Amino acid sequence: MKPNHHPEGYAEIGQQWARRAFNTMFWAMLMMLVLGMLGIASEYTSMGSAWAAEEAVNLSAGAPEIQTVDYPKIGFSSRSVVWIAAQMHLFFAAFVLAVPLFVVVIEWIGVKSGDERYDDMAHEFMKVSMTAYSITALFGGLLAFALFLLYPHFMGYMTRVFDTQMLWYALLFFAESAILYIYYYSWQALRYGNRKWVHLSFGIGLNVVGTSLLFIANAWATFMMAPSGIDMASGAVTGNIWEIMRGPLWNPVNLHRFIANIAFGGAVVGAYAGYKLLSAKTLSERAHYDWMGYTSNFIAVLAFLPLPFAGYWLMAEIYAYSQQMGITAMGGILAWLFIVQAVLIGTILLASNYYLWSGMSRTEGSLRYQWMIKYIAVVLVLGFLVWVTPHTLILRASEVAALGGSHHHLLGPLGIMPAKNIAVNLMLIATFLSFQLYRRSDKQVTVSWAAWGNAFIVAIYLIAILNIIFAGIYYGYFTNTVYKVGSSVTQVVSTLVVIVAGVLIDSFMFKKAKILPSVWGQVSNRSQYALFALPVAFTWLMALMGYVRSSVRTHWHVYSVVKDNSVDNYIPAIGYAGNMMTIVTVLFLLCILFIFWIASLSNTKQIPPIKSEGH
Amino acid sequence: MMQRQKGNRLIMWIVAIGITVVFFYGLNQFIMSAQGLPLNLDLTPAQ
Repeated sequence: MKPNHHPEGYAEIGQQWARRAFNTMFWAMLMMLVLGMLGIASEYTSMGSAWAAEEAVNLSAGAPEIQTVDYPKIGFSSRSVVWIAAQMHLFFAAFVLAVPLFVVVIEWIGVKSGDERYDDMAHEFMKVSMTAYSITALFGGLLAFALFLLYPHFMGYMTRVFDTQMLWYALLFFAESAILYIYYYSWQALRYGNRKWVHLSFGIGLNVVGTSLLFIANAWATFMMAPSGIDMASGAVTGNIWEIMRGPLWNPVNLHRFIANIAFGGAVVGAYAGYKLLSAKTLSERAHYDWMGYTSNFIAVLAFLPLPFAGYWLMAEIYAYSQQMGITAMGGILAWLFIVQAVLIGTILLASNYYLWSGMSRTEGSLRYQWMIKYIAVVLVLGFLVWVTPHTLILRASEVAALGGSHHHLLGPLGIMPAKNIAVNLMLIATFLSFQLYRRSDKQVTVSWAAWGNAFIVAIYLIAILNIIFAGIYYGYFTNTVYKVGSSVTQVVSTLVVIVAGVLIDSFMFKKAKILPSVWGQVSNRSQYALFALPVAFTWLMALMGYVRSSVRTHWHVYSVVKDNSVDNYIPAIGYAGNMMTIVTVLFLLCILFIFWIASLSNTKQIPPIKSEGH
Repeated sequence: MMQRQKGNRLIMWIVAIGITVVFFYGLNQFIMSAQGLPLNLDLTPAQ
């Protein structure tokens, strides 16, 4: 396209090139990420084979056999110190990795829509996460020192196995820091036109580096659970770094943590929005933070919906790797933790649905849908009750005799997976329905085929729900185990069909819809407490799942390769673990309050003193 | 006129539900057989 001689012609070409450069960079980096995950890059670089040859020569030494006396003693439980440091680091790392992910998307929406509010909100989210970034590094340093001090032989083995990859991890932090500071501090300088595309490119780069850091750290954790690239008898390294990283649990944990980080990040910034709304001094401020809270809740729940499926994949891979490990996790000593998980997820779903229902008061168009809320609430509560029902009960011998067995004859069947799968899928469909009703509330559809569209949406909901119940009951209780497990896939797909069909049909139906007036800020104060409940539940849930993930290794540092012979070589009791998880959750929330305060402090200006005359 | 509108609506619902039932039936057959778990026409296990 040739520019005309008017200056704007050149600017337009420049913007097209900047946009193309951004698109190219985005897709190139996405491909690099995917190829990296598949480890395909190693097949085509000479470095991979050179490393393999070098490692076979230098790293033939096997895993250490650590004795109890080899562990340094510092006067209190080494495991507790590492537990707290690791969990705090993971909380903050999840937060600072997640925020740029949805900030870039919001910023891009701002460019596409031309609405400056999106850009302002994206900038404010980044401001909140900046302080968190420093705290992440502080806890990371504390964790590294604690690990090297308290578990030197184990860390010596891990550094031998992962070798220079650990240096790459450290170097990536330089890249992360540089890009983060540039991205945040250049926000106003690169606000419009070509420069905005440059700014977005920095955002993409920040996310690629952040995700790479996540994937590298995940390799260490999953190696400890399901080691690969080593000789299982001696622990000696036999493969290259990709074979070591790409264990059977790496990608399931990558996917699960990637999605869960976004959900967690959304919940934390939602709490920030709730706090700012409740302390708002003007109506426009209240409206701004109401909208921010809605967006945060939307991000949290949208990311939360696929999480159970990612978790299911992770558990399936754990079972495939080691039946013993799988049974320890969900059929044995840690099984009751999944009842606690049900309580927390039920809390999350009830809180986020309550927030959506409260938000419907922003527009009068919601009155036509309000009759459905009680039925959605019934589905959520019943699903929650089924999900929370245990299978094995903690009983004395006399209680077993009185009950006539170790399981309740009526409620026992609700304690196994088919019932839980029905419950969770119906709860997710109910949550999506709350979303769909909220989105429809401020619109009056004008397309001629609206009746057909609504008929299909209702039919899809009804038949999907019946299909989920049928698959769960028939294949779950009346066929063999293989069909029982296989039918859970049809249930998941039924839920996904509802979500995808709902989004697609609505997006076509809303074309040229009449938009009804809605008032941001016109929402109850108590709904903001739902936004506070979300990060509390998410944080406790992360701590709980971290406890499960670490405990499935039982008495191994590296499962079946490096034995844990420390004084803490046992799965901690659930009560003790509950106290630890609560301590880290409270610590994290205190740090978050500090971060919110710092974010507000940067906007505070002291009024200069009035100078009196004659002085 | 009213009768005709009601009749049209009934047809609309029957068609919508019918197509959806067929879709989910086919989905079940496809997903289970893709996992090596074939089903009979009445959705009972074929193995």
